[in-house]
Amino acid sequence: MTVLNNRITFVAAACALFSTSAFAQDPSLTNPAISAVLDGYYQNTERPMAERVEGFGLGHTELAMSANIDDMFYGKLTAVVEMHDGETELGLEEAFIQTLGMPGGFSVRAGRFLSDVGYLNNQHVHTDAFSDRPAAYRAFLGSHYFDDGVRLTYVAPTDIYWAMGIEAFKGDNMRAEDEHGEREFKDLGIYTAYTKLGGDIGANGSWQAGLSYMRNENGRLTADEHEEHEEHSDEDHGHDHSHSANYTGENTYIADFVYKWAPNGNYKYQHLTVSGEYFKVTDFTPAVHADEHLSEQSVDDQQGWYLSGVYQFSPNWSAGVRYGEVDTQEMHGDHFHGQKLKESEVSLAWHHSHFSTVRLQYTNQKGTNFDGIEDDNVITLQYVMTLGAHGAHQF
Amino acid sequence: MRINSNLIKISALALMASYSSVASAGLNIFACEPEYGALAKELAPDAKIYSATTAMQDPHQVQARPSLIAKMRQADLAVCAGADLEVGWLPMLQMKSSNAKVRSTDLGLFFAAEQVATLDKLESVDRSMGDVHAQGNPHLHFSPQRVLKVAQALTDKLIQLDPDSKAEYQKSLTDFSKRWSDAIPVWEAKAASLRGKKVIAYHSSFRYLFSWVGIEQVADLEPKPGLPPSSSHLASLLKRTEAGDIMAIVVASYQDERGANWLGERANLPVQVLPMSVGGNEQSQDLFSLYDSVLDLLLGVKSK
Repeated sequence: MTVLNNRITFVAAACALFSTSAFAQDPSLTNPAISAVLDGYYQNTERPMAERVEGFGLGHTELAMSANIDDMFYGKLTAVVEMHDGETELGLEEAFIQTLGMPGGFSVRAGRFLSDVGYLNNQHVHTDAFSDRPAAYRAFLGSHYFDDGVRLTYVAPTDIYWAMGIEAFKGDNMRAEDEHGEREFKDLGIYTAYTKLGGDIGANGSWQAGLSYMRNENGRLTADEHEEHEEHSDEDHGHDHSHSANYTGENTYIADFVYKWAPNGNYKYQHLTVSGEYFKVTDFTPAVHADEHLSEQSVDDQQGWYLSGVYQFSPNWSAGVRYGEVDTQEMHGDHFHGQKLKESEVSLAWHHSHFSTVRLQYTNQKGTNFDGIEDDNVITLQYVMTLGAHGAHQF
Repeated sequence: MRINSNLIKISALALMASYSSVASAGLNIFACEPEYGALAKELAPDAKIYSATTAMQDPHQVQARPSLIAKMRQADLAVCAGADLEVGWLPMLQMKSSNAKVRSTDLGLFFAAEQVATLDKLESVDRSMGDVHAQGNPHLHFSPQRVLKVAQALTDKLIQLDPDSKAEYQKSLTDFSKRWSDAIPVWEAKAASLRGKKVIAYHSSFRYLFSWVGIEQVADLEPKPGLPPSSSHLASLLKRTEAGDIMAIVVASYQDERGANWLGERANLPVQVLPMSVGGNEQSQDLFSLYDSVLDLLLGVKSK
């Protein structure tokens, strides 16, 4: 045989070599979809509030298993292995069931799952085009907000995509900082409501836009009795392993959009993704007696936003740019210090196949009072690879 | 989406025309690929049919985009190739559309590959082999005999979902099967001179077509299924062409022509783009004209 590249020949040869047990790709009762994500990196320094540390490290190493439980329920379990100060910890990021057969476009999800507020939050981190979430996500949602709770969604029977959802969560990770451990938090901390609209623009483009509201019963800070508050809390904000939100408030509003473009709608060779989100977090100043003001020029809102564009210019290469800002307020005794973080980022990724990515990312961060950051350059070299079942991706 | 909106327009016209005569409740059909939209149109002319992809889009890599969720939400029946072709997006559409009707093949979900024996089924799949399908090659709409079987099974599914229109579906099937069976020997006679010809092609997209007309695909532009042509691989293909026995380089309408053009120029071989499905070129307006077009183009390149 002179032709070694004949696919059929190759496959036949491979069959002969690996004639082990049959491996069907379809998830079934005896064979759920099992996949793993391997994520490793090296970076020269840290981004504030991010999970990745300086030097070599492992990112989101996850093991996921999913299948239809029966004709009514789908279930998924995602375990995440993380390193904290040299110790390995196993966490559960997803452990949920979802209904498959409810009438009228309704669906219920229960257990532990990623909240569907905003655009990025319900996407798995390994599908991101950048090594860390935008600063606004890190500040307000603990990078990605997952929790124990329940969700009800409805999809309208319209030609334009229109979905609505409400969620209720325990909200432990979204609690305001409690210096003295004296506060009585509510057990049902988070309620969300969101709506998403979407459609196509011609044969080449598709869009989605959403509005979300999050009510955090435990989001308001507790009044600090100490006049001269030491800046010790800055240490805690260095990097966040507990997935807790660093800056909370009773009300969070999120507006998001995403636009994707591919020539003729064919995503195999080239495609462009432009996305952006805006966050506003309000009502975090400690409740005080009506006649007292915490401070004269008291502010009661924090904001953040980002805009990102990622272009895959060949099946093997993609490049992205992202700019984001976050404005937060840090409580110091009876007053707040405004903080600002600006991040300009570029990333270049090489994809050998659909399942393997090696990424180089550069971030220039400029901070004003932000955890002591003034100017910093962060370079991350990262790989993200998936093995096992080919999971379907969200838009 | 040009092709889709045309389909909708056509089916809307068909609907309007049918309102005056029979009050048949047209099913809402979601076709994963245009070939199944075209087949559904033959078998259920009164149905409202939407094709999720066009012949210019690689069905392996489709975004589970909002418009598709909205269409699937309203569907009574989803008709797809199956054999894991849509594994990267169909499950997400099913999950997000919350439409109980299309969640299982017991109900309004239909996979063509489950109705026939596929080629190249694999006992064992390893990712080092590339993006291969354990359940065999899903591009089976270029096998005329399989299309007949799929049409029969799809008609059974239509009758299951809409038993009141049973007589009409059976009439459509009889009509389609007759025209299709009559066309097969005509196509085979036309394609007789292609038997034994050798081609280099992109992916195994035309596996069934080549198997039917007796063309041998001696090499693949992809180094491994799903991976784009690499320069080292193209160089090895160039060496292969030195034997002088290759008729042409064949790519499908949704595949990148650059690798093929590079090889074609150096090896002095014609590069032929074939419509992968209905709407892949001007001539391909339905399944019949798609077959006509593909054979015409191959005969054209043979006489070069």
